[in-house]
Amino acid sequence: MQRSGFCYVNGTPVLETRNLIKDYPLGRENVRALDGVDFTAVQGDFAVINGPSGSGKTTLLNMLALIDRPSEGEVLFEEKPTSRLTEGELALLRREKIGLVFQTFNLIPVLSVAENVEYPLLLTRAPRGARRERVAARLDEVGLSGFGKRRPDELSGGQRQRVAVARALVTQPRLVLADEPTANLDSTTGKQIMELLQGLNTDHCVTFLVVTHDPSVVDYAQRVLTIRDGRIQGEEKRGAPRPA
Amino acid sequence: MARLALRNLSRNRRRTLLSAGIIALGCALSLVVLGFVERSRSLIQESTVQQFGNIQVADPALLDGRAEGFEYLIPPAEQAQVAALVRTERGVLGTTAQLALSGLLAVRRTTAVVRAVGVVPENDVLDYNDLVIEGRGLGPADVGAVLVGQTLADELGLRPGDFVNLTATTVAGAFNVSPLEVVGLFRFSSVEVERAQVFVPLSFAQLLLATDGVDRIVVRLDRLGRTWTAARAIGVKLDAAGIPLEVRTWDVLSPFYQSLSGFFDILFGFLVAAVFILVFFIVLQILTLSFLERTREVGTIRALGTRQGEVFRLFVEESLWLGLVGGGIGVLAGAAISFLFNAASIPWQPPGTVQAVALGVDFTGAVVLIPFAVSVVSTLASAFLPAYQATRVSVVDALRAV
Repeated sequence: MQRSGFCYVNGTPVLETRNLIKDYPLGRENVRALDGVDFTAVQGDFAVINGPSGSGKTTLLNMLALIDRPSEGEVLFEEKPTSRLTEGELALLRREKIGLVFQTFNLIPVLSVAENVEYPLLLTRAPRGARRERVAARLDEVGLSGFGKRRPDELSGGQRQRVAVARALVTQPRLVLADEPTANLDSTTGKQIMELLQGLNTDHCVTFLVVTHDPSVVDYAQRVLTIRDGRIQGEEKRGAPRPA
Repeated sequence: MARLALRNLSRNRRRTLLSAGIIALGCALSLVVLGFVERSRSLIQESTVQQFGNIQVADPALLDGRAEGFEYLIPPAEQAQVAALVRTERGVLGTTAQLALSGLLAVRRTTAVVRAVGVVPENDVLDYNDLVIEGRGLGPADVGAVLVGQTLADELGLRPGDFVNLTATTVAGAFNVSPLEVVGLFRFSSVEVERAQVFVPLSFAQLLLATDGVDRIVVRLDRLGRTWTAARAIGVKLDAAGIPLEVRTWDVLSPFYQSLSGFFDILFGFLVAAVFILVFFIVLQILTLSFLERTREVGTIRALGTRQGEVFRLFVEESLWLGLVGGGIGVLAGAAISFLFNAASIPWQPPGTVQAVALGVDFTGAVVLIPFAVSVVSTLASAFLPAYQATRVSVVDALRAV
């Protein structure tokens, strides 16, 4: 794995939320999961959204990933509002510009490692040669170059998460969102995954937003946002990322 | 997507095999029944054409059974004109004239009401000599000769060489009677025909009725499938020539064939509907369960940017493959059953017939295509609802599914 150097935050907003509110019906009442979240992620950011269970982290992540719609407020992607986009337009935006890493890896069990990584490229209708090349490059980056033909169930948890990271990056997205990426891993493997994410952030200058309640993950962030009761309680800026 | 669809099918082999097995069973069952129906239908078609020829040209009053007297007879000049017109049509092997009459066949002290059909002996179109099982057929030199059905012969105690008297009314209304020698006994596919119909030379029938007319021109074609096109063309030519005769095809001339064919259609329609419904509901249940189990996976691929329509297409494609595989296995199984059935050559005597036929199953393009198409379509139809439901679940809810 070659590291090209540091990625410096350049201030171009990739993602922005304005007074984000999300209410869920619970019986006859509404429960407010997000209560006026204002947040901006810029090009090359490596931000961690930290908070206890039930604080609204995952709800916020779903809004930022454009897989859920807010009750009020607006999510802007590359400075463009998304609330009026159709489901199909949001899907196109996700496939081209957003990479997702899930807590439980969410690999497609019937596809091989290489096919899992290739899947988002199939959606973009990339030519076969380009697909092969990019899949090989991403697998090499995550340290799984010899694992392309294996099935997900033949891999360890850490390896699966590496495959998920490769899948998230294969379309060269502007933003990668990771939901508790270390929660199902032991601490050593979790550390390796976070170092991988941090390295990819510096290599590709991709904006990373990681949602976690794991305090050790916070060490890797340039920005740490603490969320509690659906509100951003505070933000800590830590400067440029550590070299991987 | 095709790769993903196929992999999903192979993921749960037991469930896929169960679904494909049900589809295959339905397809094979329909194929064998349809093949059996089609073989039976073609046997009846052959028998009907053997009786009526492909096409008959006659006065509409005679064909509709509303003739009074003998005004329907076709005079010799018109016979020649019609024959010449018909022979210009493609696929016509030949024409022959017939004259039927009702009369009393008497032997010793017994009489029977018969329909005597006057035919041109040894003509190439339709002379019924191939039905003779004892004695000989009618020859060109015969005048006072008759072919009697086996059933009637048994009832009257007739054998070749015996003499009978045939009484009829001439066209002028006088009684006429003539002796006839039984030259041969024939068998026919229908007991009713064997009991009530005899064949005499056309010249004898004309002599008995004291006429030189005939009541119909029978047309034989090179193949059955040409019948309806040729009938239409001949009808147009007759109209153009100002000849007031009508054209009827063998299927219209035989009410028995019409009713039996209609029955076969209803039988097969019911079977197809039953198989469709059976396959539809069983596969619907299996696919619903299968798609439900993959809700989380649907959430994942949609979160990665797969559109709802693409997810729907994935599931439909999966069921299409399932239908194609199940239908393909069904066709192979149906072919094997048909082969075994045909090899067994089981004899069967249909009700109302005198000759046993070998039961068989046709294995033609239509026989294969219809059950295969029904299997694929019912499988596809069963996928629509669960596939639609799978695409309607919100991504967030789908990702939460266990």
